[in-house]
Amino acid sequence: MKRIIYITVSFVFLSSLYSCKPNLEGFIPSAGDADFSNYVAIGNSLTAGYADGALTRDGQTNSFAQMLATQFAGVGGGEFKIPYLPEGPGNNGSGGTQSVLRNVMNCQGFSSVGPVTVSGTAVSLASVSGQGPFNALGIPGARAVDAVNDIYSALNPFLGRIALIPGGTSILKEALRAKPTFFSLWLGSNDVLGFATGGGVGEVDPAFPLPGDLTNPAQLGAALTATVDSLVRRAGAQGVIANIPDVTSVPFFTTIPWNGVVLTQGAADTLNLLYRQVGHPDIVWKAGANPYIIEDTTVINGTLRIRQARPNELILLTTPGDSIRCAQWGISPFKALGDEYVLDDKEVADIQSHTMAYNSIISNIASTYDLALADMNSYMKEFNKGIVYNGANFSKDYISGGVFSLDGVHPNPRGYALVANRFIEAINRKFNATIPTVDVNSFEGVVFP
Amino acid sequence: MKKTLLIMILVTLAHGAIWAGGFKIGLQGQRQIGMAHTGIGLAQDAATVYFNPAGMAFVGNQLSVGVSGIIPRVQFLDANTNQRTDAVNQLFTPFSLYATYQIKNTPLQFGLGVYTPFGSGVEYPTDWSGRYVLTSINLTNVFIQPTISWRLNDYFSVGGGFVYSLGHVDLNRQIPLNSTGDKEASGNLEGSAQGLGYNLGVYFQPNKRFSAGATYHSRVDMKVDNGKATFTNIPQAAEASFPNTAFTTELPLPGELGVGAAYKLSKKVTVALDLNYTFWNSFKSLGFDYRDNTDRLTDEASPRNYENAYAARAGLQWDAGKRSTVRAGLFYDQTPVQDAFVNPELPDNDKVGVSAGYTYWLKDRLSLDVSLLYEDVAKRLTLNTETQLHGTYRTKVMIPGVGINYLFNKRVKRRVPSK
Repeated sequence: MKRIIYITVSFVFLSSLYSCKPNLEGFIPSAGDADFSNYVAIGNSLTAGYADGALTRDGQTNSFAQMLATQFAGVGGGEFKIPYLPEGPGNNGSGGTQSVLRNVMNCQGFSSVGPVTVSGTAVSLASVSGQGPFNALGIPGARAVDAVNDIYSALNPFLGRIALIPGGTSILKEALRAKPTFFSLWLGSNDVLGFATGGGVGEVDPAFPLPGDLTNPAQLGAALTATVDSLVRRAGAQGVIANIPDVTSVPFFTTIPWNGVVLTQGAADTLNLLYRQVGHPDIVWKAGANPYIIEDTTVINGTLRIRQARPNELILLTTPGDSIRCAQWGISPFKALGDEYVLDDKEVADIQSHTMAYNSIISNIASTYDLALADMNSYMKEFNKGIVYNGANFSKDYISGGVFSLDGVHPNPRGYALVANRFIEAINRKFNATIPTVDVNSFEGVVFP
Repeated sequence: MKKTLLIMILVTLAHGAIWAGGFKIGLQGQRQIGMAHTGIGLAQDAATVYFNPAGMAFVGNQLSVGVSGIIPRVQFLDANTNQRTDAVNQLFTPFSLYATYQIKNTPLQFGLGVYTPFGSGVEYPTDWSGRYVLTSINLTNVFIQPTISWRLNDYFSVGGGFVYSLGHVDLNRQIPLNSTGDKEASGNLEGSAQGLGYNLGVYFQPNKRFSAGATYHSRVDMKVDNGKATFTNIPQAAEASFPNTAFTTELPLPGELGVGAAYKLSKKVTVALDLNYTFWNSFKSLGFDYRDNTDRLTDEASPRNYENAYAARAGLQWDAGKRSTVRAGLFYDQTPVQDAFVNPELPDNDKVGVSAGYTYWLKDRLSLDVSLLYEDVAKRLTLNTETQLHGTYRTKVMIPGVGINYLFNKRVKRRVPSK
């Protein structure tokens, strides 16, 4: 009997050992026709890994450029040098720190989560040019028109800290110094974003566009063409260029609805009386959702130069929530939302027509110089409907959507991973490469308190 | 010590589980496993209570007890990231217990079966890319089946059993909500279910060489009425969206039609063939209906759209000596799962099984059965349209089993021990 037990036990044991493990063979990563041995990433805050209102060392590590470099390393990519910031709460370029999500009590006594700026000193932007040249040339704030500006290092501290000649270099010169064999170029967002986040206060198509103005497409085209021409013709590099999404679809512009004033019939009656008294019987309030009152200098009715917001107009995330909730902002005829908090119909139309013009220029550059084109504009459109990645639902909703950072403009690491995959797909298509995409779910999303 | 051991064994047994087309378990009798799970047309021990209730009339009074150890190895290769994920190694132990009893001087035979015909279980690392779809599932099920058969004449019998089914589901997944300290939210759905069904069969044995049978296993609808949904690590800001609550769900255990036949090639060698056709199309979707719905916790209905599937099985038995019998078998089992609906909860595909078995007669009436089954689930590249999980699954399963069989009548002849 004992012998039989032994035999049985060893039988079970041996057969479990033989339960051999499956060993699936993946595809073999290949660089195709591209040479990734020295990859240089050129761009703005989106290339730098800026998130939550500042550039941090963590953000740099989780930039899409670093993700691309990691994937390129499997197909002949070399070292990817990042001009790391010191550890800490980051820097937004003017001494501000990053935001984190915290429970905050609003003026009505309700607690909810919202972004709170980390206390403490912003990290130093002191020069690290001695460690250069760098591969990661994402310069927060940079516009396409800044790429070839030879004194830009004096104007932008993020370029200043890595520039070989502090007061006299351009992003392009730094890029050429790094001798790229392959580059990613994603510029143009800030040529409209500064205008958009400023509420459209800046000028449209001025001769000398400042940050906050809307760049003339011809100037953007000239700067981008000069940049790409140097990289391709002079440095002999291959590359990928990205177009720009419609910035008005990011949470910064879509979180506060145009008609967020919710009233009872009684409150509406009171307001109607008040508006008649101040000479604006044209503004009528009703029970339920009502448009915000905004400033508009073109209004000729009445004396206050105010009107109700219209359905396609956008209220900016920077509008102080408590002032709306408790101080009658956007409700009282004397507290119409200022131009800096609103993108009106015309401003939205200007932004969208410029975005289209920029993107057609970018498409032309891509085909002229044989670059891969990462179509971030159509990706953002897909995103408007929400996407599913390996069972996770992502949307562009602020905080709950999972992929935008707390500034409502820049992605968080998960969002940057989605961006990286879009670049990889474009590169694979163009250069017949088979570079694996990154696992989006392995990156951090929105972090709740 | 003995008591603890007993409890441990019982707990382990209760986690019976997995693998045969869909979430059906083809491990209902040790001798039959050795012959690729054939037994509809070959009644050779009390396990015929499951395989063909009518066959009871031909096996006399017997007790058959057995347990198998399923050792699945599951791997997923993500087609986009090229990353491989190995499921956590687990052991599942579905069991079976059958007794048959013939009432003297009547054509009636009574039987009882307690067995685990359905189940599934798989566990993935909690940090794998598909964790928002599933991190683990354990679906367990026990059928209790009192059975009766009636021998109409020397070579024909009918039988039927009533099935009372008990089930348990335990499902875990991560929720994409992170909070400080590297914590990620997760949800657990756990509940017990019950269901009713039946099992019918006819058995025909015109001579000593040939026998045949047909069976119908009814569909059993398992209903979880008061399951518990528990959420952990939910950030405070989202707590109101994920209340611990109750849920209901339904899982249809599909009906099956089977035919089988056995033929004695020589005095010592018997061959058996079975065909099963399972009505999987009853499994349209897996839904969870929560008692409390919130903005984030909405009722779910995840499409499964299973299709009916067949299995073909062939087994061989050789009476090698006075005290020992050797078996071998081969089966092909078609998957009910369509490409666009393959899910990590059941990375199914068409599979081939190879089996071996051995019986040793310890005493005149007592025998020890061992079996070994290897299942090879073909690799499958799928893109799940609901979750967008895109990749290749591969599963290999080794299943050793052991059982005891006791004859209350004198052993006259193994195939027809008593008349």
